[in-house]
Amino acid sequence: MLRYGKGDARAFELLYRRHRLPLYRFLLRQVGNAATAEELFQDLWMRVVNSRRSYEVRAKFTSWVYAIAHNRLMDFYRASGRASFLSHEESESVLEGLPAGEIAADLRLDRKRAVERLLAALAGLPDAQREAFLLQQESELSIEEIAAATGVSGETAKSRLRYAVAKLRASLRKES
Amino acid sequence: MTEPRDEELSRIYRDAEGPRPAQRVDDNIIAASQRVAGARPRPAGVRFARRWGTPFALAATVVVTFTLTLMVFERESSLDKMAPAATRADRPAKVLQAEPKRAGQPETESPAVLRPIAPAPPVPQVAAQRDRVQQRPGESAAASKPPGTGQFAPAPEAPRAPELRQQTPQAPAAAPAAGALSESAAALQGASVAALAANRPAVPEAKERTPEKWLEDIRKLKTEGKAAEAERELAEFKKRHPEYRVPEDLR
Repeated sequence: MLRYGKGDARAFELLYRRHRLPLYRFLLRQVGNAATAEELFQDLWMRVVNSRRSYEVRAKFTSWVYAIAHNRLMDFYRASGRASFLSHEESESVLEGLPAGEIAADLRLDRKRAVERLLAALAGLPDAQREAFLLQQESELSIEEIAAATGVSGETAKSRLRYAVAKLRASLRKES
Repeated sequence: MTEPRDEELSRIYRDAEGPRPAQRVDDNIIAASQRVAGARPRPAGVRFARRWGTPFALAATVVVTFTLTLMVFERESSLDKMAPAATRADRPAKVLQAEPKRAGQPETESPAVLRPIAPAPPVPQVAAQRDRVQQRPGESAAASKPPGTGQFAPAPEAPRAPELRQQTPQAPAAAPAAGALSESAAALQGASVAALAANRPAVPEAKERTPEKWLEDIRKLKTEGKAAEAERELAEFKKRHPEYRVPEDLR
């Protein structure tokens, strides 16, 4: 990003090729619509382009760019009247009610069905939990980095991720 | 703080067919990034020129146009002052306006324009007559100087022509004066001719006669009883020959 800030267009292209698919998937899984996802995706990268001079190395580029993606999603949720972030207390109760267990044996063999079930369960997660799971899967950020990117404490980020994982596993087991 | 990944879930998630952004989205983003990277920050001078270039150019255009217009107007006005007559001649409308005024006024012309003078011919005639008299063979300059010929001295005549010319602007008033002048010139011409005729024999006689012969003639006049004529001749003789001793009988 620093090289791009000095006018190296090739540096930006390298960054883009490296992060385009995870970022696009993150946005698409969050909004559930390809057109909206592309709009947000393009807007996100234009913000990156316009920030080339003000960019400072305070964290990994990945953390920074996913933070932008998070903020852009918040704007989208507010604009569309969709702010269904679960409270921590609610999550705790949900987590307590979920039965822990193994993924069904048939789904381990039928990978295609397992993917369909997982994606369906992911779409049904609360936005905050889904975001935490997607950030872990797509960006490979740590809990601390996820917390920093989403603007919450580490504990909140950790619990959101735990609830997301528990729900997804439960959906895979229950469906079987 | 670390949260171990659920590897089983992660494997299932990675097996999902990865959606991709449209190619046009990729192209738009890459093109925008290259466009922005190509536009390097401009130096302060370039930014200043870009900001103030257009206003300055407009102001300069206005100033130059105004100056040129002013110069053209000043040049035209100075040309009008330098050659007013030529400008009037070039403007028929002004001439037409001036024509009726001239017709109504008694003729007054500018000093630069002089008309032919009516009484002028007599002057050249007198001068020509004088020239003829002077050019006669056998007549010396001294003989032409006697009292009778003094009337034709060129000195008084020289200023006469300018005087006449100066009087011409008042044409109606000058006409009688010009007539009088022509009459006087004619009278002068006649008198000069008469004087010439009267003096012609005396001058040659005075020149041809010897003092003795002249004295003999005076004595003859005295004896004939022409005392006055004899006295006049004697006085003339004394003027001509002051050194000659006049005989006692003639004194």
